[in-house]
Amino acid sequence: MSAQTQRNMVTEALAQIGQCGLFLLTILKAVPGSFRYVRETVRQLWFVGAMSLTIIMTCGLFVGMVLGLQLYYVLSIFGGTAASGTVVAIAIYRELGPVVTALLFAGRAGTSITAEIGLMRATDQIAAMEMMAVDPIAYVVAPRFLAGLIAMPLLCSVFCALGIFGGHLVGVTWLGIDNGTFWSNMTANVDVWKDVVNGIVYKSVAFGAVVSLIAVFQGYTTPPTSEGVAYATTRTVVASSIAILALDFVLTAFLM
Amino acid sequence: MAREARFGYLVLLSSRPFPMTDPLRPTTDAEPLVSVRGLTTVLSGKTIFDALDMDIPRGRITAIMGPSGTGKTTLLKHITGQMAGDAGQVLVDGQDVGELSRSQLFKLREQIGYLFQNSALLTDFDVFENVAFPLRQHTDLSEELIRNVVLLKLQAVGLRGAAALMPSELSGGMARRVALARAIVFDPMLILYDEPFVGLDPIALNQVLKLIRTLNDTLGITSVLVAHELDAIKQVADHVYLIANGKVVAQGDPKTIADDGSPWTRQFFGGEADGPVPFQYPAGDYAQSLGFPRSQA
Repeated sequence: MSAQTQRNMVTEALAQIGQCGLFLLTILKAVPGSFRYVRETVRQLWFVGAMSLTIIMTCGLFVGMVLGLQLYYVLSIFGGTAASGTVVAIAIYRELGPVVTALLFAGRAGTSITAEIGLMRATDQIAAMEMMAVDPIAYVVAPRFLAGLIAMPLLCSVFCALGIFGGHLVGVTWLGIDNGTFWSNMTANVDVWKDVVNGIVYKSVAFGAVVSLIAVFQGYTTPPTSEGVAYATTRTVVASSIAILALDFVLTAFLM
Repeated sequence: MAREARFGYLVLLSSRPFPMTDPLRPTTDAEPLVSVRGLTTVLSGKTIFDALDMDIPRGRITAIMGPSGTGKTTLLKHITGQMAGDAGQVLVDGQDVGELSRSQLFKLREQIGYLFQNSALLTDFDVFENVAFPLRQHTDLSEELIRNVVLLKLQAVGLRGAAALMPSELSGGMARRVALARAIVFDPMLILYDEPFVGLDPIALNQVLKLIRTLNDTLGITSVLVAHELDAIKQVADHVYLIANGKVVAQGDPKTIADDGSPWTRQFFGGEADGPVPFQYPAGDYAQSLGFPRSQA
């Protein structure tokens, strides 16, 4: 790859980030107008939130189970299996809950938002709204953005609950860790504000905003072709995944 | 403007005698509703309009015809402010569309109906909700009144019985008629029809022609039709513009325009490959493209 091509790619990426930032301002400006469409926001909340529950619950359970299993074998080397409840909870609340939920959310809901808006553009539905004097940012984009913002912490809570249940299932029910020790160590060492709120509230809201923004931006700006929609959907997953992991590092550094 | 004045259909639903023309809308030739002055548009290096001038008179049905790719849909986009030109002016009801703010443009669009080439129905909604959509967004009419207006419009396009169908269950022609019902649901001052006759069977075509004429005659609505079907245009339009090469090359009565003797009208209405409008898109030497030496061509 030539130096010129590399420079062009960097310039294009920076331009996309800039456009995405401007698009966020447009959405925020349209949010008050979108309160007229509360039903649409609730419909989207159902679509991106409730419809994502199955995958979130299933993955949360298995992540917790794997974590419980791995920790049992590592901690048993040092005779510290009693701490497995604490470690499972802290790992899930601080990192795995918000990050894995956001990655799943990008794959399940982000892609469908991008594809839906992209197809609406390709079939002139966005232009038809404009022609009917209905602001598509307020009617189509803002409700989906808000729904993502609201759904992410709720889904993250469910993921964390199922994750801890999975850890308990493997550690206590199957491998014989004492039930009282598991829960008492967890409640004694997990801080509500530092661990739970930082993960479920701050991180997941930030991830929800980023994933939703990328999804609606990619959908709204996609070329109105089938190839354009397919490419935009892929970009949503790739860009969201990178953004989630990068933002996770920044947030972790600030919230420590 | 009073809500009753804006929504002419309320007149239809009222118990008062139905007026043949809307007294609030001037239907004289005095001032055109749409004026295009010196419009120049260049897209991807190709000149679409070259200082185009055009007037759309109030209360009339004006047809815009021309070869494919000549910019007919683009012209509609300029009129509705979906696209800005590189130079010139588009005035709608005295307002320079290019100078309007977004909110002013939306106010103007509330008075414009637009029939898209591909119908552009909202796929999440059924036929009834598609037609009701503009009413729900811009009025606080009661559910009963919305229902009556929507059914009235659907009856007009022959699809009252399809009110509960989803857009995916409609044929292309039916979708077009639903889109037409949606475009006229406000009884706007200006309706722009982009290829309204495509996909219609002869029965539906005849009814749509009658509907366009009736709307125009009874409510004084100004209509702009972009179409290729000269026979249909002859039945419904009052005036026709033929645009090619970025300019108006002919205009006049649709019944006689084909006989005006100019090379443009002769080629276009005669369907001839040879003439001022090249049938072939600019390309290199044909024989060379096929791999033959130039001398064998």
